[in-house]
Amino acid sequence: MKKLFVIGLDCAEPSLVYERWNDDLPNLRRLMEEGGYGRMRSTIPPITVPAWATMVSGKDPGELGFYGFRNRKDYTYDKLFVVNSLNFKAKAIWDYLEERNMKSIALGVPPSYPPKRINGIMISGFLTPSAKSEYAYPAYIKRELEEKFGEYIFDVRNFRIDDKENLLKQLYEMSEQRFEIVKWLMKEKNWDFFMFVDMGIDRLHHGFWKFFDPQHPKYIPGNPLENSGLEYYKFIDRKIGELLANLSDNTSIIVVSDHGAKRMEGGICINEWLIREGYLKLKCKPQGIVRLEECEIDWKNTMAWASGGYYARVFLNVKGREPEGVISPGDYEKIRDELKEKIESITDDKGNKIETRVYKPEEVYREINNIPPDLIVLFGDLYWRSVGSIGFNSIWTHENDTGPDDANHAQHGIFIYRGELDLKGDLGEIKIEDIKDIMLKHF
Amino acid sequence: MDKACTIWFTGLPSSGKSTIANRVAEILKNKGYKVEQLDGDVTRKYLSKGLGFTKEDRDENIRRVGFVAKLLTRNGVFVTAAFVSPYREIRDEIRKEIGNFVEVYVKCPVEVCIERDVKGMYKKALKGEIKNFTGIDDPYEEPLNPEVIVETDKETVEESVGKVMRKLAELGYIDEWSEPEGYSEEEEEIVKKRLENLGYY
Repeated sequence: MKKLFVIGLDCAEPSLVYERWNDDLPNLRRLMEEGGYGRMRSTIPPITVPAWATMVSGKDPGELGFYGFRNRKDYTYDKLFVVNSLNFKAKAIWDYLEERNMKSIALGVPPSYPPKRINGIMISGFLTPSAKSEYAYPAYIKRELEEKFGEYIFDVRNFRIDDKENLLKQLYEMSEQRFEIVKWLMKEKNWDFFMFVDMGIDRLHHGFWKFFDPQHPKYIPGNPLENSGLEYYKFIDRKIGELLANLSDNTSIIVVSDHGAKRMEGGICINEWLIREGYLKLKCKPQGIVRLEECEIDWKNTMAWASGGYYARVFLNVKGREPEGVISPGDYEKIRDELKEKIESITDDKGNKIETRVYKPEEVYREINNIPPDLIVLFGDLYWRSVGSIGFNSIWTHENDTGPDDANHAQHGIFIYRGELDLKGDLGEIKIEDIKDIMLKHF
Repeated sequence: MDKACTIWFTGLPSSGKSTIANRVAEILKNKGYKVEQLDGDVTRKYLSKGLGFTKEDRDENIRRVGFVAKLLTRNGVFVTAAFVSPYREIRDEIRKEIGNFVEVYVKCPVEVCIERDVKGMYKKALKGEIKNFTGIDDPYEEPLNPEVIVETDKETVEESVGKVMRKLAELGYIDEWSEPEGYSEEEEEIVKKRLENLGYY
């Protein structure tokens, strides 16, 4: 019986894996040489939850009905929900395989809490509230894992710390445990399809990028953590080698990330900008740097507001839609176009043009379900993040509002394949929506 | 004695009958109900050995399965029966015979079933190696008034199973069916804080 084993490395970056550190990653390099590899084009926005869900279902974020981690529940100003597995209603690869009587193991593939009943085993990912939660299906798997591996580590416990040695230690601990669990499951349980996601590389990029990228504005040559990135990638490569050694010859292998990463130049304070341009009005002046939610907004005089993160979501205040909407539906497109044009022309703090892209949901998705943002903004080709807080007295900042962060997400991730399909050599660009069908072709 | 029923899954080969029946049976067992699972692989071996696939033989097979299901059901055992059972008349006959009968039409376009071809039978039927194969050279008569219709080409197994369980609760065969729940308010707060700390927003 043919099998497929999928190694998900959240955020693994093609320029590091395929180029800069390729010689130091013998196992990944061998897979590339014996099979094929390409640049995996992620979702818009290239964000963990919609990206993995798109990869395993073939549906884009609009079809799935979730556009990021947080989504609007309704058209009020403050009701947002965090995506969980029940919001993921599309068929995933394991559903298709169950129809063919095949067994799957899915570990840590977001969004997977609460774990779904599948024909096989599902262990939820980093959005699991705690190790006390019921994170496994069937439920007894949790007990088995705890007996063998101790408390399950879903994520690093304290990410925003300046004690980088401590953070690095947590990263190794988390990934070590994850790979050991995978190794045990792949040997002890029945499966036709196995997929797992490790979050370590994503956390590494956000916490350590400035130490190893000479182009990062805060890079200091010769810093003691200069090799932290390479060493961690080498560690992951070794762990992959251990897994490969346990796979039978009839198993095809995919190594894939949900998006890549790049240095973060700084942040664009989107709400500051909206205030300056007259789209957003507050009832009082913020004292210091505060989140927009903590300010009283003069909704009757506000046309748009936005959320921060690795990308920006801009929402319009529309009459008859939002509780105190001001934009008449007839002007909606005009204002949206105006905003798109203006946001795309925001420069960096030195007046240089940056490649900001602003998307209308209906232009990038095949279908729209639930409530998307009115505009999705990727600042400066993703070298800039979106800062939602206000009180910076500038629209640019080089200090992140939520603590130290060195990297932003990049649009392309990795896709490496070795197996029975005719996918050899440089595969060029692979769309994330097509990966489900590539996986399904094996069965 | 608890009030049990026979849950009869009918549909084309590879439409997903056994998949859903297995899940429903598992849930019922976990809830403490007595459950027996009947399907073609078992009954054609022990109950209807020697019967073929002509209309008469198919009807006889279903009649015998219906008889067993009736005995179990009236003794408080839930029966999940997953059979192509292509003919309406015999399905209606056993419905009357059993009484507590929940018909689940497992609907799926034949093209999708051919693609799945769980047992490789479509391939053989299309090559002409086997005759009287439902969906290829033998008809399938859709139920006119099934209690539940699941559409397995569009729904996840979880959704289809949810439809069946909801109907069982609605008809009073089981005490309750609570839909799986996402985050509690407290859990959502924990996750929101973590995401914020990670820089996602």
